[in-house]
Amino acid sequence: MPDARLVARLDTRYAAETPEGIALWLRPAGVVARLYAYLADFAIRLVFFSICWLFLVFLGRLGVGLGLLLFFLLEWLYPVVFELSPGAATPGKRMVGLSVVMDTGLPVTPAASLTRNLLRAADFLPSFYAFAALSMLWRHDFKRLGDLAAGTLVVHAPTSEGARGAPPPAPARPPAIPLSARAQAAIVAWAGRVTRLTEARADELAEIAVPVVAPQAMRGDRIRALAGVAHWLLGRR
Amino acid sequence: MTPLQFEAEHAAAWQELDAALAARTRRKAAATDRARIASLYRAACEHLAVAESRAYPVWLIERLESLTARGHQLIYRQTDFGLDKLARLFLVDFPAAVRAHRWHVLVALIAFAAPLVVTGVLAWLDPGFILSVHDAGMVDEYEQMYGNAAGPIGRRGADSDWQMFGHYIANNIGLAFQCFAGGLFFGVGSLFFLAVNGALAGSVAGYLTRRGFGENFYSFVVTHGAFELTGIVLAGAAGLVLGHALLAPGRSTRLAALEHAARGAIVIVYGITAMFAIAAALEAFWSSARWVPAEVKFAVGAACWLGVLAYFVFQGRARR
Repeated sequence: MPDARLVARLDTRYAAETPEGIALWLRPAGVVARLYAYLADFAIRLVFFSICWLFLVFLGRLGVGLGLLLFFLLEWLYPVVFELSPGAATPGKRMVGLSVVMDTGLPVTPAASLTRNLLRAADFLPSFYAFAALSMLWRHDFKRLGDLAAGTLVVHAPTSEGARGAPPPAPARPPAIPLSARAQAAIVAWAGRVTRLTEARADELAEIAVPVVAPQAMRGDRIRALAGVAHWLLGRR
Repeated sequence: MTPLQFEAEHAAAWQELDAALAARTRRKAAATDRARIASLYRAACEHLAVAESRAYPVWLIERLESLTARGHQLIYRQTDFGLDKLARLFLVDFPAAVRAHRWHVLVALIAFAAPLVVTGVLAWLDPGFILSVHDAGMVDEYEQMYGNAAGPIGRRGADSDWQMFGHYIANNIGLAFQCFAGGLFFGVGSLFFLAVNGALAGSVAGYLTRRGFGENFYSFVVTHGAFELTGIVLAGAAGLVLGHALLAPGRSTRLAALEHAARGAIVIVYGITAMFAIAAALEAFWSSARWVPAEVKFAVGAACWLGVLAYFVFQGRARR
């Protein structure tokens, strides 16, 4: 068994407890994912501003004024507007699959979004977001200074992968001996992973369980036999 | 009970919740009634807890986790948008937040005004002093901007009103935001930005007064200064609120104190953003106009100062 404390230190999942007493598991996004998102946003802002600028120069000094205004809005309010829209992410974050939530798991509030984005000025110091990077590397939940003050998290948006962990098709068969709850869970979990393991590895793992649950299948197709037991445990009898 | 039985027994309720959440998020007119959503959500929470404790397979737990997460977001979200909220911000919350942090405002005022007065007096006594704050090219520009030349006051050459409006917004509000963000470094950043800006402004004022352009300069700054100078002090004060929470968190942890302080300070930042927008408009379209006599500008400026001070002292107090 791996050391539980070590696992807790390696696992960056973040549990936000709801008033109902269940845990919402959030997956905070690290430095690299957020750097990609930032670069994408930077490119989008640059291209957008350049295109607008092409038209604004024709307006002369009025155009310069409007251009500066646009620059201000893009610099400070672009992230706030997108974080408050459905999806809670700037286009760059959306590309990388990130979104911004409160650290309670709730949608980000206007005040928190503004706080985290204005404090980017502090994160930027001494240059190139050095404090932001340090803070993210230091912390388990990858918060930068603005996130600390606002109480927000940047998380990997939940993906819907459909029915994950379904065992491969096999005829159901009862186990040879009564199984403890933990043993049952282990067999069902193994069956859920079989399709993603190499056959040799799946077989190697199955070897541990087969003598107990289906001794008559020792020499046959162990994977199929154990998957059948998993089906039986799930309720197909 | 096997996982499949469990799933079959409750699948109908989960599907109903799933459909109701989808309809709610798309703001459909015929959305399911709220009490029904709440009870379905609580049931799903219970099912999740049961499924976890019985070590049910991954797909079942993930399905319930995603359902409950979406339900949680919908049910407990805070809706604090809206016009009443905005009106309340300027009628009550902003001035009340400034009064609640009056000591931070006082410290910020001293940090800004002391360098301003000192450099002002020094530049007035010795016009050469300004060169130790600004470089010679800038000083030349100031002379042109506030001298008795024909163009609008406070401009280089033929910059237009709109161009300057954009410049003031981008530059000054950005500066105020920096002043606020600097507070995150135990308040030192805010104090630094306040002092630097005070020194920059003070030395120019002292120098121009000595050179005899006082009337041009003061008639230029008096009106928008009511919003801009108060704004920069309040931005610094908001930063100091953060710094203070970090330095002296009291009985909570530093992080918790910071989060709490930021919720109060951000209200001040909302307010000063509006103040700087007003200041930029005044500075671009009113302050620079040569056709308005200096006396009129001083009168309007005085009214603005009184208005701003009265706003922070009296507005939004609870009725007795």
